[in-house]
Amino acid sequence: MPLSQYFRLVDTMARMALRADAMKFYLGYLWWILEPLLWVGMFYLVFVVLMQFREPNFLMFLATGKLAFIWFSKTVTQASNTIVGGRGLVGKIKVPMTLFPLAAVHEGLYRQVVVFALLFAFLMLDGYSVTSTWWYLVPVLVVNYIMIVACSFIGACLVCMARDFSQLIQLGMMFLMFTSGIFWDVRTLSPETAALVMNLNPVAFVLDAYRQIAMHNTPPDMVHLALIGAVFSAIVFAMVLVIRGSSQYLALKAITA
Amino acid sequence: MSEDNKPAIVVSDEPGDEKAVAFPTGESAVDGPVEIERLAMLELENVSHSYRTGRKSFDSGTHHVLDQVSLKLYEGETLGIIGRNGVGKTTLLRLMAGILGPTHGTVRIHPGKTASLLTLGLGFQPQLSGRENAYLAAMLQGSTRKQAKSFLGSIEEFSELGESFDEPVKDYSAGMRSRLAFTTALMTHVDILLIDEILSVGDAHFREKAQTAMKSRITGEQTVVFVSHATSEVKSLCSRVIWLEKGKVMAEGDSTTVVDAYLQHVKDSRVVVREKEVVAAR
Repeated sequence: MPLSQYFRLVDTMARMALRADAMKFYLGYLWWILEPLLWVGMFYLVFVVLMQFREPNFLMFLATGKLAFIWFSKTVTQASNTIVGGRGLVGKIKVPMTLFPLAAVHEGLYRQVVVFALLFAFLMLDGYSVTSTWWYLVPVLVVNYIMIVACSFIGACLVCMARDFSQLIQLGMMFLMFTSGIFWDVRTLSPETAALVMNLNPVAFVLDAYRQIAMHNTPPDMVHLALIGAVFSAIVFAMVLVIRGSSQYLALKAITA
Repeated sequence: MSEDNKPAIVVSDEPGDEKAVAFPTGESAVDGPVEIERLAMLELENVSHSYRTGRKSFDSGTHHVLDQVSLKLYEGETLGIIGRNGVGKTTLLRLMAGILGPTHGTVRIHPGKTASLLTLGLGFQPQLSGRENAYLAAMLQGSTRKQAKSFLGSIEEFSELGESFDEPVKDYSAGMRSRLAFTTALMTHVDILLIDEILSVGDAHFREKAQTAMKSRITGEQTVVFVSHATSEVKSLCSRVIWLEKGKVMAEGDSTTVVDAYLQHVKDSRVVVREKEVVAAR
């Protein structure tokens, strides 16, 4: 399959899936806006109204971290189940297996465009000004996307080999949620611990980068970001080779499981 | 491809562990020299296929689907595959399409040729309309956006779905679904068409139309492998037939001979079962 056809197919599958998803709900596409709004509303209720967190900017701190994290966690979890979930198709047609997780990644990507637009609108409404530093969001978004693709490919392979991985991935996402500094600030840790967390957990680094740029007008550590980008690009490349080489094995696993 | 092709019509000397059934080979041997000239598009050599299920089952988890199957598919021919449920027909097609790989043996496809498996219900998205599903299916089968769009008109017309074409597939009746599926599948253009149980669709009117359409496709230059339970269709559409039994090639040869032998075999085994029941009842 030519690469242009492949990406057109990814795009079509993603858009069709979004449409099919929207058709399931009474409120349809409105959920794209409602979901992030409800998250922020919930944070406001819990942390500002009930727990009376007086820290300034805490609401935006939470919203930025959580809404960026959801992009990662939701997409990877969903994409991991796509080869197995698409077994009806897998058994009938020979298409590159990466198509399935990548279509799910793009489904998440298109949805996230709206979420980020809302988030940045919130930030501006809250008084944060858009500066040229915001350009740094572009490489951060790209690296975040590459991380999602890499993890989705790995997840899709693992779940294909054994359904049990689906459970582990969900637990893993919960673990990541607690260790990536969504509800707490990595920078409040001792410098050594903070460095350790950021070095070991690229998700924590990326979430912090979003906040540094959008809330503190500070560019992220670009060397660190480039390194994460390079490592995950290599993973994506390796996984494409692995999936391509084992597509018949994966098809058999998906069909017979 | 090797030039030492045997005549295409052969009766297997390994009829599996079932009792052997004899076939007259005289007629088919006449066609032999003609067949030698033809280009083998696809070749299976001693192909076995088995897999392990994740969970332990009574057979220590290993399923043997195909056992030492060898066959050749020649350019422009329509090869029928018959056999009872679960003898490995669909797996054979999946191996030919390259969706699955053989556990042992080799599957060779002529360089540059493509094989595509046509089957009903290419994973419909129930929430989407028939039009959207047809568009997606066409793209999955290798069409560009432009081609996929250009197919939609003829799909709409042939499937006779009318206004329903733009309604969600979830509201379709079973007949409407299969009409959409058949029509979408018909639009594919590949070198080798692998057809799995596709003609038993819709009402009598549509079935006839579908058969005519399929026939005109098959009788042309198209190379086809055709799997069906409808033995009369196999007889009329296929030039050569392979009968699979318990994962092995039980017989191979001209369609009338093999189909008749298969039907006789099915009849005989029914008699045996009935006799056993009678004995058991006593």
